[in-house]
Amino acid sequence: MIELNNFTFQYREGVSPVVSDISLTIPDGVFVGITGAAGSGKSTLTYALNGIVPHCYPGDFYGSVVVEGLDTCEVVLTDLSRLVGSVCQDVDSQFVCELVEDEVLYGLENFGVPRDQMERRVAQALADMGITELRDRVISSLSGGQKQKVAIASILAMQPRVLVLDEPTAELDPASSTNVFELLAAYAREHGTTVVVVEQKIALLSQFADLLVIMDEGRIRFADAPAVVLEHADELKRIGVNCPRSTTLMNRLRAAGAYSGPAVRNVQEACEVLKEVIA
Amino acid sequence: MSAFLEYVPGASPLHRMNPVAKLGAAALFAIACFCSSNLVFLAVLLVAAFTLAASCGMVRQTLGLAKAVFAFSLILALVQVLTTPSGAVLVVLPWGYIGTGGLLAALTTVVRLVAAAIPLFLVFYVTKMNDITNAVVKVLHVPYKYAFTFTSTIHFIPVFMNDMAGIMEAQTARGVEFDAGGIVKKVRLMVPLCVPLLVSSVRKTNSAAIAAEVRGFNLRTPTSGYKEYPFTPLDIIALLGTALLVALAITLSMVL
Repeated sequence: MIELNNFTFQYREGVSPVVSDISLTIPDGVFVGITGAAGSGKSTLTYALNGIVPHCYPGDFYGSVVVEGLDTCEVVLTDLSRLVGSVCQDVDSQFVCELVEDEVLYGLENFGVPRDQMERRVAQALADMGITELRDRVISSLSGGQKQKVAIASILAMQPRVLVLDEPTAELDPASSTNVFELLAAYAREHGTTVVVVEQKIALLSQFADLLVIMDEGRIRFADAPAVVLEHADELKRIGVNCPRSTTLMNRLRAAGAYSGPAVRNVQEACEVLKEVIA
Repeated sequence: MSAFLEYVPGASPLHRMNPVAKLGAAALFAIACFCSSNLVFLAVLLVAAFTLAASCGMVRQTLGLAKAVFAFSLILALVQVLTTPSGAVLVVLPWGYIGTGGLLAALTTVVRLVAAAIPLFLVFYVTKMNDITNAVVKVLHVPYKYAFTFTSTIHFIPVFMNDMAGIMEAQTARGVEFDAGGIVKKVRLMVPLCVPLLVSSVRKTNSAAIAAEVRGFNLRTPTSGYKEYPFTPLDIIALLGTALLVALAITLSMVL
């Protein structure tokens, strides 16, 4: 369980809070998608979950952020890291090793995982991300999508209870982006891991997230199931968040009186609804 | 293609050697180069260095490195030629002369620097940075944060070189003529680019530090590493062989 209570944060060098009065409860095992316009405070929100704020980026911290019973301000970053695995936006700067295998081993070595478990965990993390064949490859020789999967696998190997990812598909093509989300969702389902993803591609979030959080100027504007949030298409557009095209199409049909059901999240749902409407 | 100082996978004897032995042998080889001024001895060491490079398939990288070190050592050689008036007079200068002795000393400097640099650089091409870090922590008991700092510095060199190349390409696309004019013009054009490079470098190193910290960097102990780095007979032979080279270099400098 993650609980944010009236969380407000202003970076030391900032002139105003980047996030204000955030209250949100995330139950265990939920896939959370966070999106919003640039500068809306999405990344800072993830920094609060993994403790980077206030431990690495000091500033004025108000309210509380409690992850699995630990107040992020009261525990050291290393203790929090045992619970929360983080994948940064710039994965290239996250890598500390040259080989994929070494990179996945890195966290396990640091956290003192027994040697007899290391091999199994490395193999499992690579298999979970579908990159077993990349184990002996040099990271710099991999494609953007492969690097992203290595970065995620290196965190999965530590078996965190919460996984926080900041724009994990920023540099990926649509097919690779969907693939990464499918793998993440499958992993979360299988292990009961809570996943928090910041992402610009709302179509992906709508498809995979259980809870969709829309940020606007440092505040949460919506936090609900994707189908519920997407019903506010006009307001989302005003704050710089475009709905998936399938949602927009069905919302137009709704405005024309041809459809009255819930907002659709993806093309498949739109197809099914259209079949019903046409029938 | 590998970048500058970036590990190139392989299965040569040099690849398989203990990282500490490689570092030690390379350091001893370099010491041997600096302990002797005998040109023939240094030439033999240079040939040996290239043979080592060939044994692990790194001739192309080594030639590139040798070219860079050669260019740098030429500056030293020039100073030496102009300031060491010895041997037969070749050219008379207002403050002395250029002599055969000066030329020989300059040539010795060039050969020495190139020969000493090759094994040191080869170590990084045939050893994973992670292995160097873990081995010096486990075997030499160097504190992890210092070993990590050192290897991270090396690790970021190709990253920053790529960044610089990217910035230069972006500038070229906007009409800056990096490919025209001499070296002085090129350097003058590059100086303003150091600021954006520095900014991106600081950002990257900060991200790397945070990424390492959230993966338990502070918990690392000398026993943390998964891999072991035992010394093999080849490692002992390499260390003894290079130690002998140092002894030979010292003996030659004393005898001749």
